[in-house]
Amino acid sequence: MRTVTFRKGVHPRYHKSNTSGEAIEKVPTPNTLLLPLLQHLGAPSKLIKDKGESVSVGEAVCNVGGRISARVHSPVAGTVRRIIQKPLPGGRMADYMEITVDKDATESHSWEEQSVDLSKIDREAIISKVVEAGIVGMGGATFPTHVKYAPPSTQPIDTFVVNGAECEPYLTCDHRLMIERTAAIVGAVRLLHRAYDFKGIYFGVEENKPDALVAFQAALADFPELPAKVVPLEVKYPQGAEKMLIYAATGRVVPAGGLPLDIGVIVSNVATLNAVYEAFYLNKPLVDRVVTVSGDGIRNPKNLLVPLGTPFEHLVEAAGGVKDATAKVVVGGPMMGVAVPTLDYSVMKGTSGVLFLTQKDVPEETPCIKCGKCVRVCPMNLMPLKLAAYAKAGKFLEAKELGVADCFECGSCAFGCPAKIRIVAWVRYAKNYIRVKGI
Amino acid sequence: MSSPDTSPAAGGQPEQAKSEGPKEGFLLTSSPHTFSDSSTKKIMYLVVATLLPATVFSVTLFGTSVLLLYVIGVAVAMATEAVTKIVRKRSWHSALDGSAVITGLLLVMTLPPTVSPIAVAVGAFVAIFIGKEVFGGLGANIFNPALVGRAFLAAAYPVSMTTWKNPARLFGFLGTPVDATTSATPLAAAKFDHTFAPLLNMLIGQTGGSIGETSALLLALGGIVLLILGIIRWPIVVSFLGSVFVLGEIFHLANPAAYPSGLFEVLAGGMMLGAFYMATDMVTSPYTDKGGVIFGIGAGVLVIIIRLFGGYPEGVMYAILLMNAVTPIINRFVNSKTFGRRPDKAEAKQ
Repeated sequence: MRTVTFRKGVHPRYHKSNTSGEAIEKVPTPNTLLLPLLQHLGAPSKLIKDKGESVSVGEAVCNVGGRISARVHSPVAGTVRRIIQKPLPGGRMADYMEITVDKDATESHSWEEQSVDLSKIDREAIISKVVEAGIVGMGGATFPTHVKYAPPSTQPIDTFVVNGAECEPYLTCDHRLMIERTAAIVGAVRLLHRAYDFKGIYFGVEENKPDALVAFQAALADFPELPAKVVPLEVKYPQGAEKMLIYAATGRVVPAGGLPLDIGVIVSNVATLNAVYEAFYLNKPLVDRVVTVSGDGIRNPKNLLVPLGTPFEHLVEAAGGVKDATAKVVVGGPMMGVAVPTLDYSVMKGTSGVLFLTQKDVPEETPCIKCGKCVRVCPMNLMPLKLAAYAKAGKFLEAKELGVADCFECGSCAFGCPAKIRIVAWVRYAKNYIRVKGI
Repeated sequence: MSSPDTSPAAGGQPEQAKSEGPKEGFLLTSSPHTFSDSSTKKIMYLVVATLLPATVFSVTLFGTSVLLLYVIGVAVAMATEAVTKIVRKRSWHSALDGSAVITGLLLVMTLPPTVSPIAVAVGAFVAIFIGKEVFGGLGANIFNPALVGRAFLAAAYPVSMTTWKNPARLFGFLGTPVDATTSATPLAAAKFDHTFAPLLNMLIGQTGGSIGETSALLLALGGIVLLILGIIRWPIVVSFLGSVFVLGEIFHLANPAAYPSGLFEVLAGGMMLGAFYMATDMVTSPYTDKGGVIFGIGAGVLVIIIRLFGGYPEGVMYAILLMNAVTPIINRFVNSKTFGRRPDKAEAKQ
């Protein structure tokens, strides 16, 4: 297969066969949901339901709290038991809504299929629907999708890229969606094409998912009017990073510090597109998602379709339980995911996976031997060893001048580093310092 | 498997959600949570492994006495690192990371076969102590430690450092008859007598010279393995060897009687050892490819200048040491260009 890719990057072990053959499985609704009310990047949402109020399936519990913000909906019918503060994965404190689930009412509810008049679809229709449904980027960054879909009027948009790379090891939730919801993903692309009239549409999928490539190819055959092309991507990390994917699929380069919009491109993850489809054709807000539960520490690795707010405990139960050997729990993929100290967290819009890893030893950090491996793998062409050294030395201005802000923390440098230096942690430290101190 | 929940809850309300897993909580570390198999130790010992053929060959050429020199060189290098680390109240385990082994091996390989064991011990000590530990240990040193040791010995033992012995004749049908027990190296012969040793003899180690640097062939093969494994990088190797060859050839063509050919320059002396194993030392050479090319060309020019116009017949050691000295400057000014950053910064903002 002829594949395209970006420059540099790394080849971690993929471990995808754990779950790539496991069909998406719907899990019985838990008795209690712990719904985080901050599930996106941007301004916190505005709470509109109070303690004691009842909620129905799909009812909004939070409204947008700013331009870059998103609504939150209740995935279940039930009663708001209380609003509590708890940390999100990574430690930031957020409000959580604890909902006592009315199981009968929740399980008897079904989403009515409805027809969509394509001729009435324009940008406003897309944006208002996406805002209404609370859709954010489900690849992990959780950037509110309506902002992505609303470029300034002066900015022409001619290209759409479907992100089905799924380059993080272990994760297969997007892979399963591409096979099982091919029509929905293509349907969402049709809606968007109707509104934006793209010149080119690229379905970027790493070639380790040949069934997904074939599925898209077959589904697109029905819509010859779409200027679409299925693009097999080389299996390489971070192939699914927006800038890398755009470069691989279209050859265009997003300017440093810029957005895909700046070069006329919109990128959406396949899970996001599935949500867009459901918003239009089922009138369903974003209230559930597929989560890959995997790793050597879980008994039965699975791809689970669960309501947002599902406690990790519940995922563990559905996947047969945690083995004693589990040493680390990671939310997301092993390259960019966030470790959590307990299972006291719940599924959010960006939770692509919960991994139970058994590697007990934290590799020992040794002195930098200046081999330059990090420089040779950095997809952003930065000099990670210098950024880490500057951060360690407190030379934040120097780190800034070398483009520390352009690092999107993919972890390729730290992955490849023979001295096991925690480059990403140091970069994050420098970024935070620069942001807070205004350097 | 269940333990009391320890997460903070609002208003002092205890959370009743239970947690599975170890009581002390799961490991909490920064991403990435997976690492490649590479390690400093692995890199160092792979380098050692590729040096072994040339090492063994040198023992067959110069006798078992050089085996003792290797043992002394490596042992003193490791011991010096361990003791220094203990005195500095650091973990002495770094002495086992393989870098001291390389330093010891490389140092002995650059010495004449008749050098005394005491000199080797002194050289290994200086290499590690002055060349590396004084700077803070592995990764912090500016100069190639083995070459620091050798430079010290060149000053401290000027006579024994320039006394050469002919290797054992392995292939009776090859090469010139060897009668004398001491002889000039091909470089000295070329420089002072304008007689040039046959290239084939230089390739397979049938000439006088330092213990480990005589067989250009085995060193090049080991180096090529390292290139294939990605442990050393082509920019330094190619630019160093290339510039020596091209410059040597230019002078040769200008005056064939006085100057040996470009190929001679590449095969002679410590060129192969230097190009594959010393100039490529990660710590003391630039970490970008562009920087590597600058380093390699700089070293190549210096080698030719020293060999053809300097006081010494051989210049690889000083060439590399001098380029080591400018490496921090190269690293400072040769930066990679961020993906998406245009040369004109104003343009990036439209």
